[in-house]
Amino acid sequence: MRKAAAVPGAIVAALLVQQTALAGPEEDRLALVAHFQSRFPDIPFAEFANGIYAIDSDARSQWLEIEEFPPYEFAVERGRELWQKALPDGTMLADCFAAQLPDIRGQFPNFDVASGEVITLELAINDCRIENNQPPLEYDSSEMIDLTAYLAFEARGTKVDVRVPDDQPGALAAYESGKRFYYSKRGQLNFACADCHVTSAGQWVRADRLSASIGHTTHFPVYRSKLGGMISLQKRFAGCIRDVRAKPFELQSTQYRNLEYFLSYMSNGLEWNGPGARK
Amino acid sequence: MGRALANRRSLRRLMLITVLIALTGCATEFERRFDEAERLRSEAAAAGSEWLETGDLLEQAQQAASRDDLDAAMALVERARFQAEMAIKQAAHEADNWAGRVVK
Repeated sequence: MRKAAAVPGAIVAALLVQQTALAGPEEDRLALVAHFQSRFPDIPFAEFANGIYAIDSDARSQWLEIEEFPPYEFAVERGRELWQKALPDGTMLADCFAAQLPDIRGQFPNFDVASGEVITLELAINDCRIENNQPPLEYDSSEMIDLTAYLAFEARGTKVDVRVPDDQPGALAAYESGKRFYYSKRGQLNFACADCHVTSAGQWVRADRLSASIGHTTHFPVYRSKLGGMISLQKRFAGCIRDVRAKPFELQSTQYRNLEYFLSYMSNGLEWNGPGARK
Repeated sequence: MGRALANRRSLRRLMLITVLIALTGCATEFERRFDEAERLRSEAAAAGSEWLETGDLLEQAQQAASRDDLDAAMALVERARFQAEMAIKQAAHEADNWAGRVVK
């Protein structure tokens, strides 16, 4: 009798889990925001755009001092020069983007119906170059980082507003793929992204505290003091994947672009505040 | 006297042949295990779950084999195979369990 009752219970539980996994993007985002607001009740929502510096006051004071002479400024300046320099056929990169300068960063990532793929800012820059008979840039080249640093700087103060259109099943599939990636354990250490940045956000890992998921994508590319240079968001993804001893994917792979799509959606409503400076 | 010498030579030849057969057998066994480990690594990669050093272990195994250090080669292949198997199991486990971690 008890066994018979347990079976429908298990089915209901399984359906609930399934339903949770299939909750829409906005339900996911609101649940995650509520999770962090409950965990860090004294931190205003907007502050999460500052990553770990919203949580760790000691690290924040060091960061604020670094921001007095921002180490990413050179990248922004080089990016400005590259942006304003015409391609050999006279085309400007700006001609490829249907938005004003401060809004270009915020157009990405988006889902492109024609290709059925997530398009990131880096991909759009390279598409523009290819259309104008120029070789694509390496995704972690200094030119690409400089250009994205400049566009991030120009976008400061605008809000993240990533869309997953209801009428585009491909967009939802890409979002779900990124979400699955984020919550799946991988590597020899058997860690999911969410294990550190959802479950353990704010806790210490060796000498550092773990940042929260929301706000993760707002401030890239970043200057990392420990590397003495700028890195892209996807390079950071690769670093985390390596840290859990899994084999990283290629930059701008479908996996990373879908992950960027999901994670950027989770930051909707926060300000774009790149480029950033991190340890 | 001449016959004893001939016997000794035959014995030596027989021993040499035995060693060569054993070595060839080991090499064949290494290749079989290597192919199996590589197949599993490739399966883990297709599942998006390959571990960091599995490919490197296989590369090191090949290098050891090319130096005729078959003991080391076999040990490296075994580590790679174990990692690939675990990565495949991990992917299968996550397919059923990731959704339970999504914040509600």
